[in-house]
Amino acid sequence: IPHCLVNTIMKARLKGAQTGRNLLKKKADALSMRFRQILRKIIETKTKMGEVMREAAFSLAEAKFAAGDFSTTIIQNVNKAQVKVRAKKDNVAGVTLPVFEHYQEGGDSYELTGLARGGEQLSRLKRNYARAVELLVELASLQTSFVTLDEAIKITNRRVNAIEHVIIPRIDRTLTYIITELDEREREEFYRLKKIQEKKKQLRARTELEIAERLAKLGPIAEPVNMLTEEADEDLLFE
Amino acid sequence: MMFTCPELTFNVDHGYLEGLVRGMKAGLLTQTDYRNLAQCDTLEDIKLHLQSTDYGKLLSSAEQGLSVSLVDSRLRENLAAEFNCLRSNALPQLSTFMDFITYSYMIDNVVLLITGALRQREVSELLPRCHPLGTFDQMSAVGIACTPTELYSTILVDTPLGQFFQDAVSESSLDEMETEILRNKLYKAYLESFHAFCKNIGGATEDIMCPVLEFEADRRAFIITVNSFGTDLTSADRRALYPTCGKLHPEGLQLLAKAEGPDQVKAVADCYPEYKEVFDTPEPGSDYRSLEDRFFEQEVKLNTLAFLQQFHFGVFYSYVKLKEQEIRNIVWIAECITQRQKSKINSYIPIFM
Repeated sequence: IPHCLVNTIMKARLKGAQTGRNLLKKKADALSMRFRQILRKIIETKTKMGEVMREAAFSLAEAKFAAGDFSTTIIQNVNKAQVKVRAKKDNVAGVTLPVFEHYQEGGDSYELTGLARGGEQLSRLKRNYARAVELLVELASLQTSFVTLDEAIKITNRRVNAIEHVIIPRIDRTLTYIITELDEREREEFYRLKKIQEKKKQLRARTELEIAERLAKLGPIAEPVNMLTEEADEDLLFE
Repeated sequence: MMFTCPELTFNVDHGYLEGLVRGMKAGLLTQTDYRNLAQCDTLEDIKLHLQSTDYGKLLSSAEQGLSVSLVDSRLRENLAAEFNCLRSNALPQLSTFMDFITYSYMIDNVVLLITGALRQREVSELLPRCHPLGTFDQMSAVGIACTPTELYSTILVDTPLGQFFQDAVSESSLDEMETEILRNKLYKAYLESFHAFCKNIGGATEDIMCPVLEFEADRRAFIITVNSFGTDLTSADRRALYPTCGKLHPEGLQLLAKAEGPDQVKAVADCYPEYKEVFDTPEPGSDYRSLEDRFFEQEVKLNTLAFLQQFHFGVFYSYVKLKEQEIRNIVWIAECITQRQKSKINSYIPIFM
């Protein structure tokens, strides 16, 4: 509806859309930066992981050499988990990322395993695998944040593009339409007023002509008596 | 008891088996065999090489899924089969001796079953994981008991291991004892009983077996001490686990019980010439051999000495131990190859005579 009021409203909306787009672009940039950081860390951790796992598997072989087959004793003794994982939330530019951290619960229930044989190798084995578990937990948090961030970045970019290529042009077009309509209407008003003035002038000119004609037709008109110039008034009885 | 000329009467009862054992000992892998194995690149190559040794077609039936654990279990089963073949032909004294050899494996199996029963695991799951040399008749009945004490009073008392539980049960209830402590207590009772038996037989058997068993006892004492630093095991508890049939008894064991750090252990070892070497710090530049490795080497040396004398039972014990070490070596080489860590492949214990 082409209105002045609507015009102002539209201008405000355009402004809003532009600010929104800029903010979203900034958010997308921050997320991308964090994304690249995480990617680098993932590559690092994965290579370290390969090394650590290899070492841990080898220390298992060493321990088996010295202590015999202790796998069944360990499996039978399993009770509760000694290393547990907690999930925390981290916030990056408005996106909540899950972060996992591990914590130890309870003492080491396998302290005395290998007491008589292979204790040294077993403790080395425990250390190696503990390190492997730490790395695994870290890797898990990195990968989940990677996936979440990826989605968040896609959504934000989609929104930025939508605003830029769809919303703003639409508002632009509406605005131009309104302005053109308003201009047209002004011009119409103006034209109409002009026309009315002309007509009025013509009408006035015609009526004057008619009056002049009628006056001339009546001839010399006795002028009515002018009361003010009269000297004597007939109606006055007593003077 | 053979006091006079044991050589004359020994062969009557045990000559055939001694001959068998010596034949089997000749089939142990040699230096060249080990070198060939170390140069293999895959498990398939190892299988090939083993076919040319006394192991023959042992692994050839495992076409798919050739893994290190399969190799390990097959070799162990092979050893158990050889041992049982010898055992079934043995006459008394030798048969008791050979039973003693199996008790150490039985102890491991029993501890495993007890832990499993405590956690309500299915007995049928645990049975295949027991060591084949340590089977006893009542193994499958273990599942009916719910607590260790019940287990002991109903089943274990009748097994040959019943005598070893005396010491453990009298001191504290079986239920609260940690499995490792139980295992070590049983082993201590077993070693001492085995030592007494060998002493009883006398003669060449005593001369060969007693040093070996004494070494085993002292080695356990040392290793328990070293491994208990940093754990909750108090020195009094530790003392209760030391077998008393070794050279360290009684002064060495007392000192060990009081030791608080590895240096003090080394100080104790320095008093005994045989163990001084084991605890010596190696010169820089040579390979690092862990304490365990050095003890293994000593054990192998003592065991090879058994074959230099004749007419005694020690050859059977030494054969089993050497074969075990050989299995460990082969599995080590196989693991190194599968994990591509060839740098440490020569850390096996050489058994050459």
